[in-house]
Amino acid sequence: MEIIIDGKKVEAQYGETILEAAKRNDVYIPTLCHSEALPGLATCRLCMVEIVENGVTKRVASCSYPIQSEIEVVTDNEKLRRIRKTLLKLYYTMAPNSEMIRKLMEQQDVREFNRCKVDTENKCTLCGLCVKACETMGTNAIYTVFRGAAKKVGTPFDEPSEPCIGCGACASVCPTNAIEYLEENGTRAIWGKTFKMVQCKACGKYFATEEEIAYLYQKLGDDIDIKKCETCRKKANANRFIAAIKAEGF
Amino acid sequence: MAKILMVQPSKCASCRNCELACSFAHEGVFNPNKSRVHALVWERLGLGVPLMCMHCDDAPCVEVCMTGALHRDEEANGVLWDKDKCIGCKLCISACPFGNASYDSETKSVIKCDLCGGDPECVKFCPNEAIEYKEADKGMLTKKAMYAEKFKKIFEEVE
Ligand code: SF4
Ligand code: SF4
Ligand code: SF4
Repeated sequence: MEIIIDGKKVEAQYGETILEAAKRNDVYIPTLCHSEALPGLATCRLCMVEIVENGVTKRVASCSYPIQSEIEVVTDNEKLRRIRKTLLKLYYTMAPNSEMIRKLMEQQDVREFNRCKVDTENKCTLCGLCVKACETMGTNAIYTVFRGAAKKVGTPFDEPSEPCIGCGACASVCPTNAIEYLEENGTRAIWGKTFKMVQCKACGKYFATEEEIAYLYQKLGDDIDIKKCETCRKKANANRFIAAIKAEGF
Repeated sequence: MAKILMVQPSKCASCRNCELACSFAHEGVFNPNKSRVHALVWERLGLGVPLMCMHCDDAPCVEVCMTGALHRDEEANGVLWDKDKCIGCKLCISACPFGNASYDSETKSVIKCDLCGGDPECVKFCPNEAIEYKEADKGMLTKKAMYAEKFKKIFEEVE
């Protein structure tokens, strides 16, 4: 079907989101919490666009609004710019040291403003991507929790979370790099939990947490062998090749 | 029949051109660490083994990937990685029994053979045809299966 984005007719598929259609047609819409791996969060609201559907004008989050009729979309106008600026100011007070927020501010022409109320330690904007990543892993180690009036992301009771395997997917998807992840001396630490890492049987390199290995065995069954790091596994495989060649005699 | 990558260690001269070609095509740099293929060299035997993802039918990396970033692509007849769907758990790296996937933290990318969209660079730049990309005919498949059988036995001996 055909829709109109910023005055231009473009092809769109029934049911896909406005953001998807815009992306495919090279129309840029700013986003913070959007990830193609974990779609539909729609918490940051930066991707807000204005649409006309059946004669009604409304503003919707383009990352989660499905195209079901031949709508007209406006991705940029005075009002949308104002909304985005306000949101970015809010995110700036939450995470003033985040590079991503600074980049978006520059791009949306938001100047720095009164810094008195900003929390210089924090980098989290509460988008929820980390929680969704952990949910997707099936580990469910972190949640959005309320502490008094303040909402935050964390582990239950701020204690090291039992189901956490230390994979770091949460840290990897965080758009503002708010999650600390430290690997040193055979340990990995995240969310207040310190993991012992497993050493490669061949070279001694620390390559995964004990919990990650347990997770892998649970997923793949016991016939798989995860005692070596990837480099040594590759060497072992080459050795097998050579042995096979010698056995074949060529 | 779809094409598959075949390697012949007896032909490999250990020049490692394949590694340079691969890293340049994917990352724009000549850096064997960023290559998806690695030629492991046995100087004493005069053999080299160019190794890359085997594009397993029942790939453990695909099985552990919760987002479908790693998936079997029928058209490519291979296992491909979709950057947009990856959440960086890195479990695929430990899941591969052959050590054929690694993770580049700098670019947040899984480094793994993608068959170059059907025109493998390593094949083009190997001066000795030690890596070939060929239609898997019936004969070859049988050979592959035979090989796998032998492999399994030797596997047990080597370990
Ligand atoms: S590191 Fe822990 S909290 Fe983060 S995604 Fe992995 S299991 Fe979940
Ligand atoms: S990365 Fe490893 S497990 Fe995955 S398809 Fe390739 S060889 Fe198989
Ligand atoms: S690192 Fe990415 S590709 Fe690998 S298993 Fe995790 S989500 Fe899948």
